[in-house]
Amino acid sequence: MAKTASVTDKPIQIRVFPNRLLQPQTAEKVLNEIDHVKGVIRMLINGKNLPRKVTCGPGTGADVNHPDRTVIHVGDCAFELHIIVGEILVEVEDESAVENLRTACERAFPFPFEFKRGHFIKRRPTLTDYGKYGFKSKTDESINLEDERLLGLVDPHAKLENNLCVVKTEEKS
Amino acid sequence: MAYKAQFYPGNTSIAKNRRKHMSNDLEKLRDVSDEDLTAILGHRAPGADYPSTHPPLAEMGEPDCPIREVVEPTPGAAAGDRVRYVQFADSMYNAPAIPYFRSYHAAINFRGVDPGTLSGRQVNEMRERDLEEFSKRVCETEITDWGLAGMRGCTVHGHSLRLQEDGVMFDMLDRRRLEGGVMVMDKDQVGVPIDRKVNLGKPISEAEAAKRTTMYRVDNVSFRSDKEVVEHVQKVWELRTKYGFQPKA
Repeated sequence: MAKTASVTDKPIQIRVFPNRLLQPQTAEKVLNEIDHVKGVIRMLINGKNLPRKVTCGPGTGADVNHPDRTVIHVGDCAFELHIIVGEILVEVEDESAVENLRTACERAFPFPFEFKRGHFIKRRPTLTDYGKYGFKSKTDESINLEDERLLGLVDPHAKLENNLCVVKTEEKS
Repeated sequence: MAYKAQFYPGNTSIAKNRRKHMSNDLEKLRDVSDEDLTAILGHRAPGADYPSTHPPLAEMGEPDCPIREVVEPTPGAAAGDRVRYVQFADSMYNAPAIPYFRSYHAAINFRGVDPGTLSGRQVNEMRERDLEEFSKRVCETEITDWGLAGMRGCTVHGHSLRLQEDGVMFDMLDRRRLEGGVMVMDKDQVGVPIDRKVNLGKPISEAEAAKRTTMYRVDNVSFRSDKEVVEHVQKVWELRTKYGFQPKA
């Protein structure tokens, strides 16, 4: 029988939804606090687009130069924000990390936020993912991807390098 | 006894504010100079002549028409100005105005205006110099709070979003922002940079916004708390329904 499903364990997913849209400084602080929590597997930030240029209307083509489109540092990684951060999805390994995550958020947010458990990032590859990455082999029908934690972090049609940031690689003993 | 127009029912602060907007009985909160206003509207360079689409009406030799004799043209129409627009977006977090009441304000109090009411934005079209007079009134008075509203000719996204950390409504094109406690606009309404920073005054506080808004909200003044308004809305609904009912013989 061909091997199919590859991700079998079910990590806990949390949606952190602040009352306000975050300025880059606050987003940086929050993301770093979350990064320090033990057991965090991956994070996904969502928000409204900050375009580089005006894309419609009589001003099409004019530079926007939005002050919130700036470089932030999370862990040992620096990246440019393309959005104003409005939501942070976090996946953690187990129950013990959830309360630490909540405490970290309470420390970092200067205003109230919603903290909700649920299913927010995809756990299994979809047809589009298979279309992009393919099967491992004729007999192994799991997705041809080295690290399956990448699934659901980036739109299958977008480029990985512009949207993905590996904050901390595991130390090899 | 002289007739006094009654604009809107209700006894809550929201109903009172709605009456104020409709009757143009608005408090002036800030000054915006004519040149600054022209710059942020972006239809012509400040100080330039008004381009026209036809000669002034006085030179055109209008046809003999009793309606034209009765209706005096607006200054813009008399001069033959182009038709131009101004558009505003208001945050749903207690912005002073909402699209419907911007339209009522424009249609009741100004002539030669074509208001367009949409869910998150409101656009007004009129002759250019009439537009400037109208825009000045709207920009300087309590109908607009520049933290919770914005002049946006395009890319209006923001009215239904959470506010930014500084309490300002999100603007994708960064046309106006909070700088040193005051709202500053350095682009025109379509996002093209202008040669000046227009000072639009201090944004109102959260508590003040809750007092000045024309928006019923459960977390402020709820619609159902205003019995007179509910009664009025139900009456209008009932009459419209009866009027539309056509029993077949």
